[in-house]
Amino acid sequence: MPTRIPLLSVQSLRKSYGNLRVLDDISFTVAPGETVCLLGPSGSGKSTLLRCINWLERPDSGRILIDSQPIGVTSGGVVMNDQQLAQVRTRIGMVFQQLALWPHLTVLQNVMEAPVHVQRRPRDDVRAEAEALLTRVGLFDKRDVFPARLSGGQKQRVGIARALAMKPALMLFDEPTSALDPELVGEVLAVMRDLAAEGMTMLVVTHEMAFAREAAHRVVFMDHGVVVETGSPEAFFNAPSTERGRQFLQRFSNGRAALAA
Amino acid sequence: MMRDFATVWSERGLLFSGLGNTVLLSVLAGVAALLLGALLSMLLMSPKRMLLLPAKALVDLARCTPFLLFAYIVYYGLPSLGLQFDAWSAGLFALTAYHAAYMAEILRAAWAAQPRAPIEAGVAFGYSGLGLFRRIVLPPLALSSAPVLGNQLIQIIKDSAFLTIITLPELTHAVSSIQSRHFIPFAAFLTAVLLYWALCLVVEAGVAAVGRLAEARR
Amino acid sequence: MTHADVLSIFSGALTTLLLSIAGIALGLPFGLGLALARWAKVPLLNPVVAVYVSLLRATPLITLVLLIFFALPTAGVSVGPVTAGLIALVLNTAAFNCEVWRAALLDLPRDQIEAAQSVGMGRVLRFRRIVLPQVWRTALPGLINEMSQLVKLTPVLAVVGVVDITRAAVRIGAQTYEPLPPFLVALAIYIPIVYALVSVQRWVERRTVQREATA
Repeated sequence: MPTRIPLLSVQSLRKSYGNLRVLDDISFTVAPGETVCLLGPSGSGKSTLLRCINWLERPDSGRILIDSQPIGVTSGGVVMNDQQLAQVRTRIGMVFQQLALWPHLTVLQNVMEAPVHVQRRPRDDVRAEAEALLTRVGLFDKRDVFPARLSGGQKQRVGIARALAMKPALMLFDEPTSALDPELVGEVLAVMRDLAAEGMTMLVVTHEMAFAREAAHRVVFMDHGVVVETGSPEAFFNAPSTERGRQFLQRFSNGRAALAA
Repeated sequence: MMRDFATVWSERGLLFSGLGNTVLLSVLAGVAALLLGALLSMLLMSPKRMLLLPAKALVDLARCTPFLLFAYIVYYGLPSLGLQFDAWSAGLFALTAYHAAYMAEILRAAWAAQPRAPIEAGVAFGYSGLGLFRRIVLPPLALSSAPVLGNQLIQIIKDSAFLTIITLPELTHAVSSIQSRHFIPFAAFLTAVLLYWALCLVVEAGVAAVGRLAEARR
Repeated sequence: MTHADVLSIFSGALTTLLLSIAGIALGLPFGLGLALARWAKVPLLNPVVAVYVSLLRATPLITLVLLIFFALPTAGVSVGPVTAGLIALVLNTAAFNCEVWRAALLDLPRDQIEAAQSVGMGRVLRFRRIVLPQVWRTALPGLINEMSQLVKLTPVLAVVGVVDITRAAVRIGAQTYEPLPPFLVALAIYIPIVYALVSVQRWVERRTVQREATA
């Protein structure tokens, strides 16, 4: 990767819940167009880290810069208010584990909602883009259906379209397929793979190792709130350089073997 | 019998004025109780004990108090403390204050039952403040709490009949007056019963309509 | 307020208590009967009960009491205030109880009844040994809620002249020109009674949750 100004810069992030250190001096960057997968066992702090990036959770200390602009605390050191946070958040797209579609709106309305009401873009333009996005994720024919009538995989594809409609600089994925039935996972990962290939800057927390292997430019392995290893997928999956990384992959492949047996 | 109903019909001016008062009183009290109840429910959800405990005590107190007694106290009792109400104000105040407590509990429970994820998504997408409330929080909350709120409105309509004892000229007061002057108790009170029933059916139809909206989205 | 005044309020309280108990005691089986008529879809009764329940749930108790108290005598049946009040209370509470029982009955899984049928149980036996023992538990919170509502409605009886708490308080207030103290005493009697019922209801609901959690 040629050196460029990073799109996302996380600097010395720390967060504790009482005595529990959830994030322990985390620093890393994501370059524009990079797809980075955050891997690690449950409780390693991956989701917390992701949610700190758009300030859904507040870190205790550290800095986060999106395109060189801070989030959460202004450059002057003042904590941002709701409106300032809202401003920055429109540049970050998020896809949730619990899907989180708005139940009172149809699929198309879900995708159009924030661009029209938060970004205040003209409705007709947004509609055209929304329909294009739904076509791209394969759900154009469901545009007038309410989310309750969709399968988990369909809902999550709408969730991705909804996030993309905001034209974000950075996409965050918080275990997007963990809550889905196994047979529905593939359709969501396919959309994410295409997105990565098209050059979207993505930070993905996931347990889907095959996806990380194929679609990520870099993987970051976390354990107990610390970045243990980072590197290319080939490097990490074939020859992890740390003992903890080895153990994690061991457990994972044992689990797979047990399932296959 | 038919003659009795004809007599009632001849007094339709008084009858409809009573009905009008009942409807007006119920709608005003309903809206006011809902707004007041919404504010009160925020206290019920407050993490600060200093706000939560008095609010909870107030709501529990209202739940254990007979409305008729409360109306008596507001109209006949408060003047001795220097607070004089006329019948209309006393009635409206009593209905509103009493039912605000019930509304608060209803709204608190409805809010607690709402899934948090879609609201968090709203925050993540850049909604905040009034916009978040109006477009993301309120619609699903309104759809889910409509049946219970409708029930509460029916309660308000029925409680408004108690206000006849403080000489408020609502529906029951009107038919009492008609029956006492013409000695047609059955026709007069039956008319009132049928009119209350009609009001109730209107509210239930409204709730059913909202229910269909909710069902499509469920 | 004199000593005698407080005494008369308490005597009124006794009347209130007795009427409440009578109303509840009569309303429970009556409500169950109505619910069964609807649940078993008894041909003529089913729609009649449906209309009755809808009507009675929409009618304010005060209007109903006035109707019964003033209209029955014109049909030749002379009723005193206590009787009229009791009839109104029972008619009213039975309608609400009916809905509580009905919800509980509908909640009973069909296979419970089918299992009883398959071992040859007749209707009455089925009801007595299979349906009722399960259904009363489901219905209990709603029934207790209705009891507390009934107690809160008893002041209505004062309007037709029953000398209950409310009427005693009103009379004292009119005599002493200080209406507030007797009303507050009346309130102080009602609130603990209703609060006790509400607490019992909450306790039953908690117990039900516990039982279902361990089931």
